Parts: sequence; C-alpha cells; structure tokens
Amino acid sequence: MTSIVSARNVSKRYGSTLAVDDVSFDIEKGRIMGLIGPNGAGKTTLLKAVLGLTDCQGTLSVLGLDPFRQRKELMQNICFIADVAVLPRWIKVAQLLDFLESIHPRFSRKRAEELLSKTKIQSSSKVRELSKGMVTQLHLSIITAIDARLLVLDEPTIGLDIIFRKEFYGNLLNDYFDEERTIIITTHQVEEIENLLTDVMFINDGRVVLDTPMEEVSGQYVELMATAENAAKARHLNPIYEKDVFGKTVMTFEDVERSQLQGLGDLRTPDVADLFVAKVKGATP
Amino acid sequence: MDPNWNEDQPIYRQLRDRVVAMMLEGALKDGDALPSVRNVAAEYRLNPLTVLKGYQELVDEGLVEKKRGRGMFVTEGARKQLLKDERQRFLDKEWPLVAATIARLGLEAEDLLKMIEQYAPSDAAKNGEQDD
Repeated sequence: MTSIVSARNVSKRYGSTLAVDDVSFDIEKGRIMGLIGPNGAGKTTLLKAVLGLTDCQGTLSVLGLDPFRQRKELMQNICFIADVAVLPRWIKVAQLLDFLESIHPRFSRKRAEELLSKTKIQSSSKVRELSKGMVTQLHLSIITAIDARLLVLDEPTIGLDIIFRKEFYGNLLNDYFDEERTIIITTHQVEEIENLLTDVMFINDGRVVLDTPMEEVSGQYVELMATAENAAKARHLNPIYEKDVFGKTVMTFEDVERSQLQGLGDLRTPDVADLFVAKVKGATP
Repeated sequence: MDPNWNEDQPIYRQLRDRVVAMMLEGALKDGDALPSVRNVAAEYRLNPLTVLKGYQELVDEGLVEKKRGRGMFVTEGARKQLLKDERQRFLDKEWPLVAATIARLGLEAEDLLKMIEQYAPSDAAKNGEQDD
C-alpha cells in the first residue's frame, strides 16, 4: 500500500471556528477520491492543508512530504484547480504556455498543444475572449500537461453546462488518469461523478463522517422502502436515517445484514447523494 | 451517449451484459477488439477499475481474451457459445411459461408459425441457422 496522502489527527482553527476537527485518513496511489460535504464543512480548508497553502495541527504527509514546510518540492508533483480558478484575463494562450514552460520543470508544452488542438481554443486567443467553459478546458489542458502524481480538483466544473461537465470528466479519464496517479475531487454535483470514484469521503462540521471504498458501500449500507407497518418492525434495527416518500417510509441502515430486512420491503443500495443526506442529516437529529 | 445504469445490479455487471448483447446482435464479432478500458471509462465517466472488472467477467467466461499489450478481443466461437447458452436458457426458463400460456389459450401450431413469419423476418432466422 502506497499512501499518497496520509493525515493523522489534523485540525485547523480559524479564530474561534474549528474548520477541520481531528481528521485522519489515507489516500492510496491510483485512487479517485470524492470529497463530499455541505458548504462550510471544511473541504476547502482540508484541501488547502493538503496543498501546503495553510498550516495545520497534527501530522499530514503528501507524497511523503510535509506540505506546508516542503511546499516547493511538493508543487513539482501536484496540480490543483481551485473553485475560484482564475487565469489572468489579459494573457494570451501562447503566453500562458511560455510562462508554464519557464517555471514548471514537469510541464510539457507539446502535450498541452496537443490537448488544446482538440478544442476550439486558439493560441492567439486571450483568456478574456474565451467562454467560461473554454477557460476551464484551457485550465484542464495545461494542468494535465503537467506530469504530476496528485491532482486536486475543487469544484472544477462549477458554473459549466452539462455538456462541458461531461467532457471535462471524460477528458480527465482519457488524458490524465492512470494507475500511477491519484485524484481528489470535491463537487456538489456528486451524481455526475459517483461512478468514476474509487473512494468517497464525507465531511461535515470539520469531521470525517464516512470514508470508504465505493465497492464497499453496498455491503455496508442498504436502503429499505417499507409500508408503515413494516417500517415499525424495521425501526428495531436502528436505521441511521428515515424519510417519507409517497406514503412509504425509506430507511437507511448501516452494517445491517440485508437478510434481516428481507420481506420488509424493497431493498437497494443508496447512491452517494442519498447516503450523504442519511449520514449528515441522520447525525444531527 | 449515456447508458441508463439501473440500481439493481453493479455497473460492472451491466457493462458485461451490454458487451454480451453487442455480441449477440453481431455488433461485436469473433476476433473483434473491445474498446479500450480507458475509452470506455472516459466515454461513460466510469472508474477504469469498474470497466476492467466488467471485462474480467467476460474473460472468466471465456468470451473475451486478453492479448498482451494489444488489448481485449472477442474469443473465436464466443458468439456461437453465447447463442447456445441463450437458447438453452430460453428453452429452460422462458419456454415453459410461454408453452403454458399457449396451452391455456388453446393456440394451434399453425397460428403460431404464421406469427413467427410476421414478427421475426426470415433473414433473422437465417442468421440463426448460419451459426449452427
């Protein structure tokens, strides 16, 4: 097992607010981790700590380095697209490539040009002349032209239409990802990416409330749709969350054998969005 | 194009079924290359491990073979094998129910044959024969 990111008891306080509260987790090589949480849950703070953009308490190791103290070395091997991704509006695409070539030893201009040739972006275009979707395309193209081992994407597709969003993830898998690389993604459009994740982590109020490989979700969690009468029986098995849908009760169970629920109603594996609601709302009664 | 994955089965299994359907339809013929794991993953925005797992099922069933450094290929005779299995499955599982309905409704063989001509064009029937 090769941990790309390893966090032990990591906390970060802003004044009186504990943004990240005693968090421990590992992300291994070749994984695509979805970091999911409501606004203000601490996702961006956690990512900043991973990228060495902020100091934190506890032990954090990224590619074997201390991100805050060895940031310069770390930056050669990680890439980042922020939710506030900004490229200077006045810069020409060609100038951007010149700049990256001059500062980043692992940037391949040839690769970037190859990727850009598949888009409508011209090297003579200025960033300000491009649509929002094209700026994101440009950003992804230059980022994936960097031979990095860890890619961090914070809400990379925010504000893009569905066609650009699909294309973005398609390109990510086609042009960047392989088993030697690792990706961390945060997004609110979780249903669009859940099938491409290998792992999912939920964060709420600065704490990790779920951290599991996707293939284990179906073994750990089950959703039951039951009539009121059966719901009363199922309630003895301590669902973590329940809600009413079309006059039936939908309950989410954690670590309850499906056989115990057999005959009480329809069973299914909750998708990530449903599971997120169950874990986050269920935890705050 | 987005496939509609259902929630009843894991996606790798649905992917396997999709490839099998393509073999039965003749869209993938014996010896044809399967699209690369990377392409399928990118096209459907699936984790590459999911795609690999689906392909591995087909390898385990002997319908697909891995050629080192060249990718996955439909095994010679895969379609014939599939047709044989599917026919057997139809005869074992579906036919008894259909036969019971026929008996219950008192339909004659003659009526049914007429309907076969109408619903299954003869070239489809010929296709089936060729594979035997």
